[in-house]
Amino acid sequence: MAMSFFDQFASPSYLGIPLIAIAIALPWVLFPLPSLRWVNNRLITIQGWLINRFTNQLMLPLNTGGHKWALLLASLMVFLITINMLGLLPYTFTPTTQLSLNMGLAIPLWLATVIIGLRNQPTVALGDLLPEGTPLPLIPVLIIIETISLFIRPLALGVRLTANLTAGHLLIQLIATAVFVLLPMMPTVAILTATVLFLLTLLEVAVAMIQAYVFVLLLSLYLQENV
Amino acid sequence: MPQLNPAPWFTILVFSWMIFLAIIPTKVMGHTSPNDSSPLSTEKHKTESWDWPWQ
Repeated sequence: MAMSFFDQFASPSYLGIPLIAIAIALPWVLFPLPSLRWVNNRLITIQGWLINRFTNQLMLPLNTGGHKWALLLASLMVFLITINMLGLLPYTFTPTTQLSLNMGLAIPLWLATVIIGLRNQPTVALGDLLPEGTPLPLIPVLIIIETISLFIRPLALGVRLTANLTAGHLLIQLIATAVFVLLPMMPTVAILTATVLFLLTLLEVAVAMIQAYVFVLLLSLYLQENV
Repeated sequence: MPQLNPAPWFTILVFSWMIFLAIIPTKVMGHTSPNDSSPLSTEKHKTESWDWPWQ
């Protein structure tokens, strides 16, 4: 049985239940609701602090019109970062490596920013398609290029998340396989490789957080152009 | 590459948005408070030095 390195990304199903549904539905027990009393425990305090500081930082460059998105964008950050981080645990399935999930999040949110721009300030939204001070012969070409770059944004948003997580999981699996293969032959090299594997795992933890942040940050930038 | 297979894309879309809109915003909203908390004042009451009255 030839195991492909890409088999880890195949959406598994156990007892007839697709595990992607479990992996999306269950992690939220890690976010307990704060009680109505004043005193919280440490977990809730640090979660609340992170959520509030993040929302504050994200909303700083936005106009007040865009602040309605604070809850949505903070929720998106929590959603992505939780799924990305839990996916790094061994023997877990990561829903955010699936292109369909990422595009399912990217396209509606991007479309919402564009529709808001076209509805509330159509002149500015259409004006974004042509930078000021363009030489006359370049105008038709530039409008086409800007239109393409506008419509390619959701694609880039979804593919970026998929590609980053896929590449990270693949690298971890490749190097872990190398450690096991090298161990009986060259133990010293295997130990060195295991060190690299450890460092790579640290990097992937960082990537899981950074990519969730980049997804939300880019959406907030698209929103900024349209409010 | 199975991660690029869009196979049940509509189910994934509906289910992930259902979770995303139904569960997480309530969790996030739970962390908002109407007033900023302020640290307790560290000032102590000023006390006069005193001595036993018969001395």
